Amino acid sequence: MFEKILVANRGEIAVRIIRACKELNVRTVAVYSEVDSNSMHVQLADEAICIGPAPASESYLRIDRIISAAEITDVDAIHPGYGFLSENAHFAEVCESCNIRFIGPSPRAMSSLEDKAVSRALAKKAGVDIPPGSDGVVENEKDAREIAKRIGYPVMIKAVAGGGGRGMRVAHNDPSLIKAYHTARTEAEKAFGNSGVYIEKFIENPHHIEIQILGDNKGRIIHLGERDCSIQRRNQKLIEEAPSPLLDNKFRKLRDKIGRAAVKIAEAARYTNAGTVEFIVDNNGNYYFLEVNKRIQVEHPVTEEVTGIDLVRYQILLAMGEPLQHSQGDIVIKGHAIECRINAEDPFDEFRPSPGRIEMYYQPGGRGVRVDTHAYAGYTIPPTYDSMISKLITTGKDRRDALDRMNRALSEYMVTGVKTTISFQQAIMQDPNFRRGVYSTSFVEQLLGGARRELIEEKT
Amino acid sequence: MELKDIKAIIDLMKKNSITEFELEQQDSKIRLKRGLNGGASTVQQDDSVSAIPVPMPAPLSAPAVQPAAPQSAATGEIEIKSPMIGTFYRAPSPESANYADVGTEVNAESVVAIIEAMKVMNEIKSEVKGVITQVLIENGKPVEFGQPLFKVRPS
Repeated sequence: MFEKILVANRGEIAVRIIRACKELNVRTVAVYSEVDSNSMHVQLADEAICIGPAPASESYLRIDRIISAAEITDVDAIHPGYGFLSENAHFAEVCESCNIRFIGPSPRAMSSLEDKAVSRALAKKAGVDIPPGSDGVVENEKDAREIAKRIGYPVMIKAVAGGGGRGMRVAHNDPSLIKAYHTARTEAEKAFGNSGVYIEKFIENPHHIEIQILGDNKGRIIHLGERDCSIQRRNQKLIEEAPSPLLDNKFRKLRDKIGRAAVKIAEAARYTNAGTVEFIVDNNGNYYFLEVNKRIQVEHPVTEEVTGIDLVRYQILLAMGEPLQHSQGDIVIKGHAIECRINAEDPFDEFRPSPGRIEMYYQPGGRGVRVDTHAYAGYTIPPTYDSMISKLITTGKDRRDALDRMNRALSEYMVTGVKTTISFQQAIMQDPNFRRGVYSTSFVEQLLGGARRELIEEKT
Repeated sequence: MELKDIKAIIDLMKKNSITEFELEQQDSKIRLKRGLNGGASTVQQDDSVSAIPVPMPAPLSAPAVQPAAPQSAATGEIEIKSPMIGTFYRAPSPESANYADVGTEVNAESVVAIIEAMKVMNEIKSEVKGVITQVLIENGKPVEFGQPLFKVRPS
């Protein structure tokens, strides 16, 4: 049993992890940058260590400082959350060499999925369809052109080390391909320290379906069903739901198939702990493997609500060496859950970030309503990190129930002092196509471009 | 513990130039830390009776940016702050004399302490020319980033 865990993250996910630790009677250590000294995760943890100034590169990404903090507080394990160092294989190795358990996949699993190109090759070998594209990193313009010619335009150029929806560009013809190829490489070098890019067929208006998996150190892997994350803006997810209305309405048989494909890929990678296997599904029910996210994800609550399983707790137990408590047959999806991410952004001003002091804060409650947040009245949102301040999750006996409840909850949610995307989420909730479950990843752009603006404005 | 009690304690701290105050009672514990220029303060309250964290009352919340080299207006002293996380040692070995005591003259390059992290001993330089007026951390105690280690009266 772990006695003490250090949470190498901040914001709502740090709060989430600390809660799971408390429920397991494990003591917690928070690390924080100088601008996060009043953050909720610092207040909730048993101990807190300042690890540097505001910039993440000098605090939350500083492996040396986090390890030092872990040493002076004598922790047994580190939970990396999502983002930051959660998928950094080097960090996982440093932890292990310092006798600190890293709560996540083993270094071996991490390296067999070390980047997107390697993962594609692994999936292909496991017999799972991948979008047609390059076999690995595209080394030069000539190769790029040849690949595009072979698979046909439009194509997508993606950074192998990218993640979180960043580092992707679409090209519709040769000239734009060359331009995008070079820009993507420069951007990738700057953002991820790795200029490698690969090329994939761009599937128009795809549906983003991802499968939650869990693996123990005996090699057993199970999946916990899918999440549909097709509602995105600029490749950033806004709304996630479980189960997927697309699969429910159109492709019921795909659910099992995609789930089994996810498990196959995880087994090929000898995956352990929690992870998510991402697929895109086109309008004809063809599904293609995209990548594996080797961490707990932002939208994990919707899976928790429909399966009744605490994923973060599972992560901790699996890291302790416990075997999986559930077999595949034990996993039952009941009801429907929807999550709306609430960002401190102004939906009326190009979603410009709106950091600052929260004056009044009242979050919704009641039956079937869950709020995962670090926000509180009087909290000052620093400008240095991402703008998500809260996740609102509603659960119902079916999708209609969960939707109506989300409407009700959003209408109660009151935040003043900063701008939030609450009104924008309400507009989506009330859109007839969204309510019918008919949407793809182009939904938000269409909504923003269309006639719904007056509905959004009405809400403020 | 009520807000008026906390406010009273803070006033007393200011009046008597106390920088750190901790009180543990039967069912609650509170720790208050004052920044020297009065701008930066942190409050930690652990009330085992109520499990819900109370949002910071406005006068006690810290500003988003800490001043880089806090100088107490009253005494003109500069703090030497920890640039890293680790264990603070005042001497190179248990048998040796301390690098710096109250009254020691230092210049920018003088080593004033060692902070040990991951089995590596890091020499901490003063970076200030002056005289040590206060040693703020006990030998062998853990320190975090930005934690004040010494006070120096600059010359």
